[in-house]
Amino acid sequence: MHKRLLRLTSLLLAISSCALCQEASAQNAPPQDVTKETEGGIPVTDRLTIAKCGGCHQADSHGNLTRISWIRTTPEGWQEAIKRMVQLNGLQLGPNDARQIVRYLSEEHGLAPEESQPVRWFLEMTQPQTEAIPTPAIRRACASCHAFAKPQSWRRSAAEWNLLKNMHIGYFPLSQFVAFSAHGEHAADPNAPKPKEPVEEALAYLSKTYGLYSSSWSNWRAQMTDPDLSGRWLITATLPGKGKYFGAMTVARVSPGEFTTQATLTSIQDGSKVELPGKSFLYTGYEWRGSAKAEPYGNVRQVMTLSADQAGLQGRWFWGAYQEFGFEVTAQRENRDITILGTDATALRAGAKNVQVTLYGSRLPADLKADEIRLGANVTVTKLFSVNPTMAKLAVDVNEKVIPGKRSISVRGHTVPDAFSVYDKIEYIRITADTALAHTGGAVGKKGYVQYEAHAFSNGLDNLPNTADDVDLGPVTVKWSVEEFISHNNDNDKEFVGFIDSNGLFTPAGDGPNPQRRLQADNIGDIWVVAKYAGKDTATPDPLETKSYLVVGVPDFLRFDQPEVGSK
Amino acid sequence: MKHLKAINSKASRLEAEAESQKHDVFALQSGRDATKQPHIPVGCSLAFFPGWEVDSAGGTAGLCQPAERDLYDCYADCFWPAQVPDHLNRYPDWSKKCAAATQDWRNLDVVFP
Repeated sequence: MHKRLLRLTSLLLAISSCALCQEASAQNAPPQDVTKETEGGIPVTDRLTIAKCGGCHQADSHGNLTRISWIRTTPEGWQEAIKRMVQLNGLQLGPNDARQIVRYLSEEHGLAPEESQPVRWFLEMTQPQTEAIPTPAIRRACASCHAFAKPQSWRRSAAEWNLLKNMHIGYFPLSQFVAFSAHGEHAADPNAPKPKEPVEEALAYLSKTYGLYSSSWSNWRAQMTDPDLSGRWLITATLPGKGKYFGAMTVARVSPGEFTTQATLTSIQDGSKVELPGKSFLYTGYEWRGSAKAEPYGNVRQVMTLSADQAGLQGRWFWGAYQEFGFEVTAQRENRDITILGTDATALRAGAKNVQVTLYGSRLPADLKADEIRLGANVTVTKLFSVNPTMAKLAVDVNEKVIPGKRSISVRGHTVPDAFSVYDKIEYIRITADTALAHTGGAVGKKGYVQYEAHAFSNGLDNLPNTADDVDLGPVTVKWSVEEFISHNNDNDKEFVGFIDSNGLFTPAGDGPNPQRRLQADNIGDIWVVAKYAGKDTATPDPLETKSYLVVGVPDFLRFDQPEVGSK
Repeated sequence: MKHLKAINSKASRLEAEAESQKHDVFALQSGRDATKQPHIPVGCSLAFFPGWEVDSAGGTAGLCQPAERDLYDCYADCFWPAQVPDHLNRYPDWSKKCAAATQDWRNLDVVFP
């Protein structure tokens, strides 16, 4: 009897405490953990990657490694992540192993060509005029410190995007206040629902738009190959401040995805040659990363993409402390047939007679005739002086009644579009950058230059300036100067920030406090860069003038940069 | 108001300022909405305390003069993680040889994480 009573009591106690328990747990239910992985990952199968990374990134039964299997990014993204593992998480890894791991991860956890298209500028290290960011809140959360292109270069599961937010707060606590949260405005009504924090809006957008899986990636991964790029490639290039170059590059495969290269570019401006012996790697089946030693520029880095038909390469070959100098490069495989690359002419004027023009190409036939060279309506080749396989020298007449615009060149059915322009009058000029950023330097940091160009424009068929149909007639020689931008009285910025030369190269002043300046201020400031064109082919009798806004800032003391992906 | 002429430096400054408003950065960008924010060059940090390359008005007028005057604070608090080394994790010794930035700034380094 005693025992039964005991058992009954303990049973009752157990039931009641259980009930209490349930109620308590319902009230104290933990919030959903948004960093808990719910999606399937991409298993890691490379033995070296597993060996070097698996110590910390645990494998599950599917072969997924924590974190890694739920992320995709560019070669630069993986290189940056690996460096962080070495610097902050105790990883020991030699450069050869790192290279192999970056290659593997770029291939199995990379971006498809369409996915990396919006961030080409970021990978090529140029400065665009604007960056397309969906909302101001996302700009605040994701672009307060670095470009939006940085997260845009990654694809992650929803959990991983949330972990990225945590990582930012962990490493850079102030990001919580500088970027992730709203400005601090409070709604007048304290009972109004709290607006979403910018970081929450950003995470929702990133999870939806840049998720781990996409049809682009599935399609690309399936058809990804390791093409042999050996052979000769014909090159068209432009160097801001110097103009067009034509040339060729010989590529030889060393091993899968690794090549030696030898390129020669010839300037149409003065005939000078640039030799670029180097090497390159192909990641993800289309991402070309190379480097070449080129006089007088030094180490020239190459970032290009291989086209879907594997017969074209396009991108940038750059150098400079801020990667501010570089050729825009287009390359195509040389084939057995005629190729037309382009011409040294940039813009030909209506009514011009007997203009001397050089045509560049490959396998130009010895029996080429003047009337076989088609330059579009109302532009006629009157004489063909000479032809060799890579160059033809011509004389050209342009009719008075020519429609302003770009022209293609066609020889026996082989065509290059947008090879040159024809125009009647230059209606306005525009500097290639509306705004630009230079950096003082010389003592601690190196100088950050800006190479300007001024382009002439025709109004186009609608005869209105600054509309979508305007025709860019190419660079013109202008008189460069700087002017004070009035943002502060008597700061005399233009006396201190640097100078622009006759070729449009802005050289910034030295870094550090300047004792000659009020408050010992640095040589920073904001100025107008002015271009003046006084040619006789303008629409108005007065010279054409235009301005561009230049900020000369302090050095960047820290650079996230991964040149290793293109060099050995 | 063309019959008025500036006769002292303050008036000249006002004239110059008014003249400059005609050519403000937006006028250059024809067709764009002039009510938008100032066109800050892409590449500048948008963290304005008061700013690294530019201040919130898109110029350099509001920045610390010289920047070195407040550089330690920029570094220690890591306001600009993409422009200035971070004190907390990667570069605890970045300012070790730079006790007074306005004098010792040459002892700083550019770092590549």
